Amino acid sequence: MIAGLESISSGEVLIGGRVVNDLPPRERDVAMVFQDYALYPHKTVFENMAFSLRVRGARKDEIRPRVQEAAAMLGIDALLDRRPAQLSGGQRQRVAMGRAIVRRPQVFLFDEPLSNLDAKLRGQVRAEIKKLHQALGTTTVYVTHDQVEAMTMADRIVIMRDGVIEQDGTPEQVYNQPASTFVGGFIGAPAMNFLTVTLDGGAARLGPQALPLCPRNAAIAARHQGAAILGIRPEHFRPEPGPHPLAGTVQIVEPLGSDTLLHIGTEGGTVTARLPPDTRASAGQRIQLGVDIAKAHLFDAATGRVLA
Amino acid sequence: MAERRAGAPRGVRSRILDPGDTALAAVLLLPAALLLSLVVLYPVGKLVWTSFTDLSLTSGAPAAFVGIRNFRWMLEDATFRQSLWNTILITLVTVPGALVAGLGLAMLANLPFRVKWPVRLSLLIPWALPLSFAGLIFAWFFHSEYGVVNDILRRLGFEGVIWFNSPRWAMVAVCITIIWKTASFVALILLAGLQTIPRSLYEAADVDGAGRWRQFVEITLPLLRPAIAVALIFRTITALQTFDVPFMMTRGGPGSSTTTLAMYIHQNTVSFLDLGYGSALAVVLFLISMLFTALYLRMIRARG
Repeated sequence: MIAGLESISSGEVLIGGRVVNDLPPRERDVAMVFQDYALYPHKTVFENMAFSLRVRGARKDEIRPRVQEAAAMLGIDALLDRRPAQLSGGQRQRVAMGRAIVRRPQVFLFDEPLSNLDAKLRGQVRAEIKKLHQALGTTTVYVTHDQVEAMTMADRIVIMRDGVIEQDGTPEQVYNQPASTFVGGFIGAPAMNFLTVTLDGGAARLGPQALPLCPRNAAIAARHQGAAILGIRPEHFRPEPGPHPLAGTVQIVEPLGSDTLLHIGTEGGTVTARLPPDTRASAGQRIQLGVDIAKAHLFDAATGRVLA
Repeated sequence: MAERRAGAPRGVRSRILDPGDTALAAVLLLPAALLLSLVVLYPVGKLVWTSFTDLSLTSGAPAAFVGIRNFRWMLEDATFRQSLWNTILITLVTVPGALVAGLGLAMLANLPFRVKWPVRLSLLIPWALPLSFAGLIFAWFFHSEYGVVNDILRRLGFEGVIWFNSPRWAMVAVCITIIWKTASFVALILLAGLQTIPRSLYEAADVDGAGRWRQFVEITLPLLRPAIAVALIFRTITALQTFDVPFMMTRGGPGSSTTTLAMYIHQNTVSFLDLGYGSALAVVLFLISMLFTALYLRMIRARG
């Protein structure tokens, strides 16, 4: 819809203050990097990158330096005579970006550009895209299913579900103040834990166990009664029980080196806790963990929206 | 078994029961090779041999070896020259004609229709129709009095054409019929080719600013080149062997203005029973077809 490849059924799309709903793709000044790169297989890298300039009637002596400049920026200047089939996945990705850069458009549109790359290359190209964005300063709309890409690259994240915006904010906002269980579950790895609790007089009940809430959540809980969902991020568990312990049985221990993940069965369901690497625990062991309850979130059990 | 293979020389019995890879391959290929020899090599060999004889079923005399006499005769035979020229003309007109029409049909069939089968079926019908049927149907279409073509011409204010009385118009009618009949075959091959072009290339071209015509020239045509090559070669080989359509429409007339090489071979062997000369003509047609087949194989190998 932004590029003009799909029609818009309602609402308006504005680019640089101009409504572009009825403009064909070529008049929107958007350059797109496709998921499968969509490089023209019969054209060389140079021809691929020069194509958009050529169809827009640019002169030859204008095209060459611009293609070479973009190719140098991406480190693909030695590949200009090759065809896409002779390139690796990472090189194709760079050519696809080069094709977009050459245009010097108002907006870049990246459609899951890293999903066809292996994990190592993905991290490398991700950093390159970010560097490129900082160098060019062009507005970039980056579509991804990968929350790490979203968090690391964006100034602003728009989280969508079934075509509807769930939340729109900075990476810090969507991480620290998720608007719904969907956003809480999407941003952060491992995902946020969701426990079904009963709100009762400013406290959250988890079976027989009462979890006292922080003043902010207690005030929210006082306004709502009955079932709710308590969202706790894995990193907000503490090894020492503290004033708000959560009891459960260790199911799986995953030592990652940098930290240790514990999967714990509790009254409200299984939770994952990210604990310091020296945490000692074994499967089947009863455990009590502290919860940084001020950082927990309360959601509506029916709609999944955050309670206010 | 591994021990026996590595060990002492094997007896005949064990060699039969447990043949090596090469022997096994030969045994498995033998039936197919025999069958091929029977239905291809023997008739072709017999044809070539007959082309060097004066075998004629009207004389009653046994066939005698006459060397290249039959081939020398061809050089002086005006009907041979006419039929060779007609064959070349039909090839030169109907192959590009079918390609252009087939490309149009393939692009039409490739449009995102909600219900695809009526489009595909209408493409398949001309292809599935026997050539002689097409010839008969179009002979009626081009009938000077009752034909639909003249009817349309008259309704549009033109004079009707007596199609099969004029060498030129008879050839035009034959070529139109062949193009109609064969465009669907070309369209099927090109449609398969079109479907291999990813949609994202057109989307990329849209975003790059290329219009529909530019996309056709810069993306569709170059990426369709392998399919076009296959369609062209297949169509050329069958065009060189054109027989049914002109046979049913004009019987080669008026005069021999629409007689093709295949029809002239048929005339010499079936009507005049002159098998020696007919075989020599068939050898020439065979060689021309072989030339194109070799070209086709070379292109396929180059692509592979």
